[in-house]
Amino acid sequence: MNHATGAMTAGGTERTQDAWRHVRYLFLAFLGLWIVFTVFPLYFMTITAFKSAAEANLTVPTFWPQEWQPRNFIGVFDERTNFNALVDSFVIASANTALSLFLGSLAGYAFARFPRQAGGENLAFWILSNRMFPPVAILVPMFFLFDNTPWGTDSHLSLIILYLVFNLPLATWLMMVFFRDAPVEIEEAAYLDGWTPLRAFFKVTLPLVIPGMISVAMLCWIFAWNEYLFANLFVGTAVRTYTIVIPTFTHGSQTLWNFQMAFSLLALIPPVTLFILLRRYMVRGLSLGVVKG
Amino acid sequence: MSGVSLQKVNKIYGSGADSVHAVQDLDLEVSDGEFVALLGPSGCGKTSTLRMIVGLESITSGQILFGDRDISHLDPQDRNVAMAFETYALYPNFTVADNLSFPLEVLGLPAELQRKKTDEIAELLRITDILQAYPPELSGGQQQRVSLGRALIREPSVFILDEVMSHLDAHLKFSMLFDLKRLHRELRRTMIYVTHDQVEALALADRVAVMSNARMQQVGDRNTLYNRPANVFVADFIGEPPTNFFRAEVAYHDHDTIISVMDSDLTLQPGTAAATSLRESQRKEVIAGIRPQNLGFAETAHFLTADVEISEYLGERSMLTVVNGTTRFQAIAPPDLRVNPGTSVRLYYEPLNVMLFDPETETLIA
Repeated sequence: MNHATGAMTAGGTERTQDAWRHVRYLFLAFLGLWIVFTVFPLYFMTITAFKSAAEANLTVPTFWPQEWQPRNFIGVFDERTNFNALVDSFVIASANTALSLFLGSLAGYAFARFPRQAGGENLAFWILSNRMFPPVAILVPMFFLFDNTPWGTDSHLSLIILYLVFNLPLATWLMMVFFRDAPVEIEEAAYLDGWTPLRAFFKVTLPLVIPGMISVAMLCWIFAWNEYLFANLFVGTAVRTYTIVIPTFTHGSQTLWNFQMAFSLLALIPPVTLFILLRRYMVRGLSLGVVKG
Repeated sequence: MSGVSLQKVNKIYGSGADSVHAVQDLDLEVSDGEFVALLGPSGCGKTSTLRMIVGLESITSGQILFGDRDISHLDPQDRNVAMAFETYALYPNFTVADNLSFPLEVLGLPAELQRKKTDEIAELLRITDILQAYPPELSGGQQQRVSLGRALIREPSVFILDEVMSHLDAHLKFSMLFDLKRLHRELRRTMIYVTHDQVEALALADRVAVMSNARMQQVGDRNTLYNRPANVFVADFIGEPPTNFFRAEVAYHDHDTIISVMDSDLTLQPGTAAATSLRESQRKEVIAGIRPQNLGFAETAHFLTADVEISEYLGERSMLTVVNGTTRFQAIAPPDLRVNPGTSVRLYYEPLNVMLFDPETETLIA
């Protein structure tokens, strides 16, 4: 009787282990496939950036450049304004991020600490929901709206303000979550320790939400940096973002794939650098648990 | 340092139909250097009261004085109060030393002096070895000490402790109770200790203020609360196990006043003073109360007869649940007592220990 039970248990364990092994293989296979999907485009982009125009346009593509042509990276700037486009994008993304963070933190703090006075959960959710509609729906109205402002559509300011439509709800909502996570007792303790609310905020609460702020900044910055749809319609003469420069490497029937990829690769450098520098905060911030007692 | 005086303090949250009257006409006098515990069940308004004292909550009406200074409408940072929080509320990104000196930093004291005071307070609370640690690395007991230290480091008019022991295990709690008592004796600060645990309150405080349903029920020392509870709530809330209450009718004979418990054949003999006041008022009904500790087997002239229903052995004592008619009550018995359920027992009492309450208002008659 005892013996029989023992054998059965052993058999059961073996079967469970087998099942787990299969799950693991499946998981690894999936992971492999996923890596191919994400890394291959990057790889192909990189090698294409180094190819000659002729090689980049071969019907049967090569997976390693026959001849390395690093001067593509200089060639993309033959058109002098192309470099300015990177600068314009950088200015717009950074200014928009700073503004989103500043306004979003103020609103987020209000929603977190004074939910009733600030209009309650419904208002906070309504603000977030602004992020959810398809942006293209307001494309034309926004164009006419900005066309009637003193600075017009073709300016840094127009995009800096326009991107707030998308970034501010996100920043507000996330900052609200981060401020909620920072215990209110800590602020109250600071008041009782003799600190005024403003000084207590900067001294005690702000340091707790800095990791969160950095991750919000990253999200906002990357959105503004990569935005194409509105930029394409709004700007193009006085101001050009890099996203609307990329399609200009297509001339009539011919596309300069190597230039396009070289320029894209350059445009990839700022966000990747930022991400590498700030990844420690990103992970802490995006796990949405800043501090617990 | 100063005493605290609350005069007719009210707190109403919200307005209109949704409003909650959290604190109602509260009066409390704490003298200079006294240790008072604010005791009550959850939701009784004690937390609102303490938040009004420190200034984290505005008061709807009434006055709060520190000494003779009216601080009712001052900001918390201008009241010179210190508070230790239930959740400790330490600044997680500061070291223990920086946490302790934080209240001094805002005063602009020279760094030298800040360090000296920090060391002193660390010495007092025996936390010198963890000064360079960060709060998340500390145990609950250590965090507790740091939070006490931060509250004590400057000289506050009033020192408030909010449920500071509720997250500590029993053993640690005991040693913290001892330390707090020692601290109060050494520092002689005015302290208000908020808790829902009567053991803590009675062990620590000079006087205990019992709150319930947004109102102050009674303020007094241990003996007063235990022997002369102001009303049924206090008699029930203070003491473990809770007081036995009986609805009873009063009969007046020539020399005797007899209290007959309804739905049973139990009769109780009130003390002489109580009998006199009953006779004067000629009331027909009372709520009678007697503590399980005051019912025993040592023979006296007066006793209640009832059948044992349950006998629970609780280590240092036994608890008997007995029944007469449909009236159930409890008595404390020696631990070695062996009685079988169904046995009829006599439980003796002193008439002095019979408490009488008005059945309508539930306040103490005698």
